[in-house]
Order: sequence, then structure tokens, then C-alpha cells
Amino acid sequence: MDIKAQLLQVKTDFESDLENTENLQLLNEIRVKYLGKKGVITSVLKSLGSLSVEERKEVGLIANQIKDFIEESLKVKEEKLKAKELEEKLKREYLDVTLPHSWHSIGYSHPVIATLNEITSIFVSMGFSVESGPEVESEDYNFTMLNIPPHHPARDMQDTFYLNNGMVLRTHTSPVQIRTMLKKKPPIAMVAPGRVYRKDLDPTHSPMFHQIEGLVVDRDVTFRDLKGVLKIFLETIFGKDIPIRFRPSYFPFTEPSAEVDIGCTVCKGVGCKVCKETGWLEILGCGMVDPEVFKAVNIDPQEYSGFAFGLGIERIAMLRYQITDIRLLFNNDMRFLSQFEGIG
Amino acid sequence: MRVPLSWLKDFVDIQTTAEELAKKLNLTGLETNLSKFGVYTEGLITVEIKDIQKHPQREKLNICKVYDGNNTYQVITADQSVKVGDKVILAKVGAKLPSKEINLVEFAGVKSEGMLVSLEDLGLEEKSDTLFLLDEDTPLGVDGGKLIGLGEDILEIEITPNRGDCLSVLGVAREVSAIFNFKRKDIVPALNLPEGDFRIEVLTDDCYRYCGVVIKGIKIKQSPLDVRLKLIKAGLSPINNIVDITNYLLLQEGQPLHAFDLDRIEGKLVVRKAQEGEKIITLDGVERVLSTDDIVIADEVKVLALAGVIGGDNSKITEETQNILLEVAVFDPISVRKTSKRLAVSTDSSYRFERGVDIERLVVVRDKAVDMTLSLAGGKVEGFKDIYRKPYKPVRITLSLQKVEKVLGEKLDPKECENILNSLDIPTTLRNGLLESVVPAHRYLDISRDIDLVEEIARVKGYDSFEPSYPKVPTQSFTPQIEFDFFKKTRDYFLSNGFTEVVNYTFTSEEFYQKLNLPVPPIKIENYILKSQSVMRDTVFAGLLETLRENVRFGKKDISVFEISSTFFDSYEEIRVGVLSSGKLIDGYGYTDKETKFSTTKEWDILTFKGVVENYLRSFGLSNFRIIPSDKSYLHPYLSFNIEVDGKTVGYVGKIHPKVADQFEIPYNCYISELNLKYVPRLLDESALKEGYLYTYYINKFTPVYREIPKYPPVKRDIAFVVGVDVREGEFEEALKTASEYIYKVKLFDVYRLSEDKKSLAYSVEFISPHRSLSDEEVNSIVDEILYKLKLKYSDLTLRS
Repeated sequence: MDIKAQLLQVKTDFESDLENTENLQLLNEIRVKYLGKKGVITSVLKSLGSLSVEERKEVGLIANQIKDFIEESLKVKEEKLKAKELEEKLKREYLDVTLPHSWHSIGYSHPVIATLNEITSIFVSMGFSVESGPEVESEDYNFTMLNIPPHHPARDMQDTFYLNNGMVLRTHTSPVQIRTMLKKKPPIAMVAPGRVYRKDLDPTHSPMFHQIEGLVVDRDVTFRDLKGVLKIFLETIFGKDIPIRFRPSYFPFTEPSAEVDIGCTVCKGVGCKVCKETGWLEILGCGMVDPEVFKAVNIDPQEYSGFAFGLGIERIAMLRYQITDIRLLFNNDMRFLSQFEGIG
Repeated sequence: MRVPLSWLKDFVDIQTTAEELAKKLNLTGLETNLSKFGVYTEGLITVEIKDIQKHPQREKLNICKVYDGNNTYQVITADQSVKVGDKVILAKVGAKLPSKEINLVEFAGVKSEGMLVSLEDLGLEEKSDTLFLLDEDTPLGVDGGKLIGLGEDILEIEITPNRGDCLSVLGVAREVSAIFNFKRKDIVPALNLPEGDFRIEVLTDDCYRYCGVVIKGIKIKQSPLDVRLKLIKAGLSPINNIVDITNYLLLQEGQPLHAFDLDRIEGKLVVRKAQEGEKIITLDGVERVLSTDDIVIADEVKVLALAGVIGGDNSKITEETQNILLEVAVFDPISVRKTSKRLAVSTDSSYRFERGVDIERLVVVRDKAVDMTLSLAGGKVEGFKDIYRKPYKPVRITLSLQKVEKVLGEKLDPKECENILNSLDIPTTLRNGLLESVVPAHRYLDISRDIDLVEEIARVKGYDSFEPSYPKVPTQSFTPQIEFDFFKKTRDYFLSNGFTEVVNYTFTSEEFYQKLNLPVPPIKIENYILKSQSVMRDTVFAGLLETLRENVRFGKKDISVFEISSTFFDSYEEIRVGVLSSGKLIDGYGYTDKETKFSTTKEWDILTFKGVVENYLRSFGLSNFRIIPSDKSYLHPYLSFNIEVDGKTVGYVGKIHPKVADQFEIPYNCYISELNLKYVPRLLDESALKEGYLYTYYINKFTPVYREIPKYPPVKRDIAFVVGVDVREGEFEEALKTASEYIYKVKLFDVYRLSEDKKSLAYSVEFISPHRSLSDEEVNSIVDEILYKLKLKYSDLTLRS
């Protein structure tokens, strides 16, 4: 066979070899077989010496063309095989991503604290500062300076825990009003969220519970301002259309005093067990700061006026999440807490 | 307080429905609910018992013949006290009583055409011993339901402590009249009582006024139906005519009264302070030991009553009583309250005295009492004594309309204000644009300042009539909400790291501390509800352990929880965050196929738990903390540590001690941490920013500043140090990091125990110079220098080849 025919045969053989190559290792073997130092093309080219100059030129050209062809074909094939192997590797690594994740589950907010924080945030956004005070409190701050003198029947309104050090567990967040007014000069706009205690235990009363207190003191603060601020607050929490009513009531540290009811969120005012068939839910107590309280903290009641309000957080949380027994809130049973995923 | 609508109508001309009445009272300051007096039913009829025979077979049953004026019925009753001539109510066949419907029945062969009813049968009292007896002059055959007012409206009113004046039918009538502008009425008997010649001495200022009336020759019997029904409707039980009169007038007028059996009084009557240790057996049969704070009514030898609180057994009205001394008095509210509190006896009388009684109306009530006694019990008035030591001096208040506007935010019509105050029996005149009011005796405790009048005007006008407005926002008082943000960040961190928030009671038990051999915290509740909730905890850990134990009881062992709460010390409180993890961090699943095998389950371990706490500190930029050994007895001695910042302990982290796990029946694989967040002083002027509390560091936190990114690439070298097994890696790593200025990054990648006393710590260390690329030779000499420095501290340190 002459060299030309040999070269063409090489090309045909290569094409068939390439066709049957399934992986990169075989491909490399083919590369060595055809293009290596001892490869087919090299050995063919080595025999060129026996040819005439003319023939050499012609065959050399063909040989180079075939060599180029082989190189190009190998390159293409290599890429193809690489892609294929990658694909196979990836396939082997397949994992059903719909399987449950292997990180921990999320934590659940406590419904009371979440509610307390949400309410606090509303007042913060209205420009109130957040104040705090201790839970073991003197009778002075908890009662006397709030115009609840010793031996006054108003002390019966709050069943008090008395401590061995002569102090009490604060029965409301109102002493923070006193603490704040003793430290800051008006204008004051503050809220005080916190834990409070009363000697009471049944499905709607817990000896430890939470309140938020609010206080605004400035020149010319009026009862109408109190209504306005609480209206915004209640509408933010319970929705724009919530019916609100102010009822005269009595707190020793405010005058006039009011209790605020909202339309029952359960029956929408028709009357049900939750609202004791009245259509209304008592939600907070409030009033204009009593001049006696101002006197106790050295603020001139002639110059300044103010309003204060306080509300129980558990009641609101229970209404919102339709929790029927307050004691559930402090059992910390995961079966209970895990029902409040993502509430804040 | 229960106020029957019919009784209220005796004092005010009510021209509206009970519903409207209750609604308006609610909106003007008396929290009122409506209820009914039993349930009206047809088929109740008044009858007279004409004949009583024993049941032939059943000894305990009586067969009665009763007559309604037209027909005679045969009825069986179990009441043994019935007499011929008694007038009672018969529930005829078909009558629907709350407990049952009446049918024709037979008792051992004897038929009963209905039932004679007791109050219990009508659902008006818990337990009746006898049938409900009507008056002798009750007409026969009339509707029994109507007669006793079944289905009548009752106002149930909650009265706030400032409104002692409303603790009576009369007081509520005054409110109703003011709110609705209804006409008032009251019948005051015109008596002209003679002064008596018996002796009463008042020896204490705490008795403001004492009036005694002696009536002789009375007859104790049952009160007439009208009186009895009113008492029952108001929630009291009738006893006898004299006691009923005192209760009746207390409810109607708000003035407590007391009746003594005159024949039990030896010598003169004295109102005085008790002597220390003096004793009295009160009407409830309890012996009370008195103190000098108590006021007593006494005679020359014994104590007869605790003034304003409760009477004595020795002088009470009995069936045999013929002569009485009626007491109408007013005592000091604080004194009565002290006695009532100390002896734990609260009565309708003490309740009213504590809240203030109208001293000026005393004579009217006295005359009503005498009038009622004469008509219900007969007898003759011997005379009265009225000792009025502290005559009422009314306070005068001037209220300007500017003040009204300043408080309420609205200009009101002066005439309207004047009318409102007058309608409440607060005599007021408008003069030169000022309201001049005289505080009446029935409001003396509640009204003393102009602001109190503003409230009266606002509430009667109706709070709903004031349009909402908004305060000018006092921007000067704005303070950034750093504290609020700090606690929010803390919560958010733990929540998003898989920890559920819990809220435990802050009270715990002495037992908890004793069990753990820890000192009991100092703050205790004296009047606790439960002994197990009597100590104010000084650690959050107490509650978290309880939370875990409870959840283990319900089969949940794997929990991760946190609690932000106060802990209590002598003169301050600490807000802490407590963190607890137990069992599995991830309660996952196994996965196996040809190529892959893994498990998603991961148990908690000390280093993972440490990571949670450490990351929390780092989340607000706190990284200069030190890990030092912990000495907490309830923690695993080798798997626990304290965290220190600037030499102050801010908390601890550790695995629970196996002994504690056993004691509390909780999983051993349990980790806890407690960190001090904020110092809460009780003294106003003490600063809350104290060292050793994370909030303090949060407030003063260091703001990170930009450090230039290295220009030249780092040279990486793996170095394995051989050190003693006791060397703490954290400290060693810290020493390594600071051993050369060329060290850029240090990362531990292997810890290998070589022998009994040696281990290798292998680090991948990156070196860098800000000025040039470091050569191999340079790095070698840096490593030599590091080694030299480390050897100063760790003398037997070698490099592992």
C-alpha cells in the first residue's frame, strides 16, 4: 500500500476508534496511538524519506491535514466526554432536596412577651420612651406616692404579696411613673412594660403577669388627648373598626379616671361567654394624673397636666390567640408554645 | 352589690327600661350587670294549710289539705314544721320550677296535686330547711310568682372604693336621678323622740357620732313578706324583725346599725379603745383577742361589740329579747379598716364604714329605724342619746371653667356644669363665672379638690361626648430606645437560633435550693399562695430546670429554651437570660442508598452549646471575653466554665451535673447557661450601668473600625505543637495569635493525643507582611521566634515533625 493510501487508512481507523471511545482514559490512549512519539502518524511520516520531493510535499500536506483533523477531533471528543463525566458525577451526588433539613428547628416566641413587645413598639413609634424599674418595690412607690395611702380601701383593689424585707412585689407598673417623674422633668412621654404580681390564682388570674404603663406629662395635656392616643393604640392592635368606649371608673392616681372597653372581638358585640353577654371587653384603665401624684414627685399641678394608662398583657394575648386558661402561659409546655410559630 | 329594681323605684321615679338603666350607669361610673330574681312561672298560687295528716306508710311525709279560696288540693310535703293555718305557695301541676316541672304524682299510694315550695325550690337560695311562709294576711288564690316578684330585674353593681355613697339603694337612686333627670322621692317619718335618761359615754375620737335609742316591750318575730323579700333579693337572709330592720336600713340607706339586747347591758354604755388582750366572742362564734387599736362598745363589765365591724354574742337579739338599744353611729374609716384587716373579718357594716358613711343623714336613718321597729315589733320608745363629737364641716370648693377646659380639653357650658353638680346633691352656685360648691357629707371622702368636681362633670356628661385629640409630641423627651433594642436583639438571637422563649414564675421554693445544696435567696414572700412559690429566685436556672422536667413528663426530652427574667437580691435585681438545651440539637433521620449514607441527627454537646452562647456575645460585638473554670456545684466539673469580661464574671455555661440530672429526673445530656444582662437597682439614684452586665457593655460597645486589606498574599504554614495534655487550647491559641505581628490568621485543624501526657495541636497559620511578600526563609525565622516566645510560657513545648 502506498503511503497516501496508508494515511487515508489511518484516518478511517482513527474515526472508528474515536467512535468507540467512551471515557477520557481511552481517549488518551487513542491520542498516544495516533499522535504519540511512537504513534501511527509519526511512523508514517518517518517513511516519507523514501519518496521524491514532489511526492513528499504532497503526502506531507495530506499527513498534516490528517494530523490536524485528529487533534481537532480529539479536542472535541474530550470536551464531550468531560461534560459527560461531570454529568455522571453530579448524578451520583443526587440527593432529594425535599428531605427534611438537618439544622435545628426555629425557636418560638412566648405569646405574652411577643404581645408586650408589639405594644411597646407601637408607643415607641408614637414617640414614647421606654422606662423600667425593679419588681421588688417599696410601698411608697407602689402605693403611697400614687395617692393610695396606708389603710385606704383602694389597697384592696390589688391583692399584694408582702416580702420579708418590708417591701412588696409591685402590683402594677405604675411605680415606674413615680420613678420616671422623680428622675426626669416634663415633658415626659413614657411607657413601662414589665412583670407585676398579685395574690390571685384562677383561670383568668395569675400571681405573676405583665402590664404596660403609659404616662404623658406636659403643659396642656387634656382628657381628649388621652382619648386620642388610646384610640390610635387600640385601632393599631385591634383594627381600624374596633368599637371603643370610655367608662368612668376609679383609680386613686388619676382623676378623672376611666376604664376603656372595646367591642368584644369574639362575638363582635352580639354577646357571648367571653364578654359575659355584654358585647364589651374591659381592656385598660386610664385617667388624668391626679394632682396628689404630681405633688408627690414635685411637679407643679398648676403648670403641668398629664394622663396615664395601664393595661394587662395576658388579657390581650389571651384574646388574640384565644387562650382559655391563663395558667397555660406559664407552664412552658412545648406542645403549647410551639403553636405560636413566628408571632414576633 | 345587688339592688332590686323594685326597691330602687321606691326612691326614684324610673321612666326607662332596666337595660337602658344598666347601660347608662356603666357609662357614668357604676359598673352594672343585669340579672333576674329567679324565673317567673305560672301555676304558683297562695294557699292556706287546712289539715295535716301523717302519711300512713312514710313517716317523714305529711299529707296536707290546702285551700286557695275556691278549691282544696291534697299535697304531700316533707316539711315537718308546717302548721295548720300557715300560708304558703303551692306549685300546681304544670308549674315549671327551675329544677323540675310539677306533675301529678303518688307517694306510696297517696296522690299529691302539686308541691308546696321553699325558696330552694324556686331557685332563690342554696338550701332551704322549711317551706317559704307567707304573711298571715296574705290573700288566698293570688299569683305566687307575682307576689314574690319572680323574674324581677336586679342590678348587680360593682362599686369602686371611692364611691361609698353608692353602697345603698338610696345612693344608687341619687346617681340614677342625676344621670336621667328622674324625680327623687323618699318618705321620712315625722318623729319627735324624747331624750333618754340612760348613760352613754364616748371616750374616743374615732367615734365621730354615736346615737342610741332605747325601745322597750318589743316582740321578736318574723318580718313581713315585703321586708323579707327585699332582703332576699339583695342577697341577705331574713333572721328576725329586729335584725332584719338593721340589715334593711343598711342596704337601703348605707348606714350600718346594730341592735343590742338591752337587758344584757350592765350599767352605762361606753365607746372606747379596747385594752390590749381584751376578748370578745363575736356573732360568728369566734373568740377575738383585741388590741388598743380597736374601738369597742362596752358596758361596765364586758365588751359588747367591735364597733362598726361585728356585734358580740353576749348581747345579741334572741327570741326572748324584749328591750333593745338601737345603735346608729359613725366610726373612723381607718380604725374600722385596721380592725377588720387584723382580725380578718369583713362585714357589710365594716365595708361601708371603711368607705365613708353620711354622718348628716344619721338622724333620718335613726327615725326610720324607730318607725320600722314600732310597726314591725311593737314596743315603746324610752328615748335617745346622740353624741356628735365631730360635727361635719363641709369643704367649700371653687372651680373655674378654665380649669375644666384645661383638664378636659373642651369649653363647657357653665350652666350645664352647675346643674350636673346640683343633681348629684353637691350644692353648687355659679357666681362671676366660678362654680362654688359645698361638699356634702355623703361625698366627704371622695371630693375635696376642684379636680374631683371636674371628674363629676365629665362622667355625668359622658366620656363619650369628648372628641379625641392628640398631644403635641414632646420631642425633647425623646431618648433612643437602647434598652428596648438590647432585649429585643437578645430575644431575636435566641429565637432565630432555635430557642423557644419560656416564661416561668419568678417565685420558687426553698426546697429547690436545699435540694441543690445552695443558699436560699434572701427575698421571700410572707403571704405566699403556695409554699412552693414563696422564694424570689436568684437564678433563672430554677425555672428552666422546671420547664425541662415538665416537658420530660409529657415525653419531650429534646428542648432548647431561653428565658429573660429578673432575679432577686438584697438591694437590687438582675435581669438575666437563661438558656437550656437538652438531648438532641436535631432530632433527625438516617439516610442510606448505594452511594450515600448519612444521619441528620445531632446531639447537643458542650462545644455546640458554647457556640450558641459565644455567638450571642459576638452578635453585639463582645469578643474580649475569657473562659475561666466555673465553680457551680450543679454543673459538670470538667464541662463547665464562667465567662469573664474585663475581670468580671458575666455568666456561666456548662453541662448539668449528673447528680442534678438524676435528682430532677431530666436527661443527662443537658446544658445550661445564665448570663447577667442588666443591673436593676431599687434605689432611684443608683446607676443601672454596672460592670459585669452585658447591657453595660452593649451601651459602651466598641465600634469596629476598618483595617486595610493586606496587599500581599499570605504565606500558609501548617504547624503542629506538642504540649502537655493539660494545656488549655483556647489560652494556647490566644498566645499563639499574639506571638508575632506577622501572624494574620490561626485556625486549629487537629488535636491528637500522642501519649499519656502529651498532645499535639495542629494549626494552619497564615503569615503576612504589610510591606512585602514573605519568603520561605523569613517565615522559618518567624516560626522560630514564635516558638521561642511560646516556650517562655510552655517550657516543654516542641514542634511535631
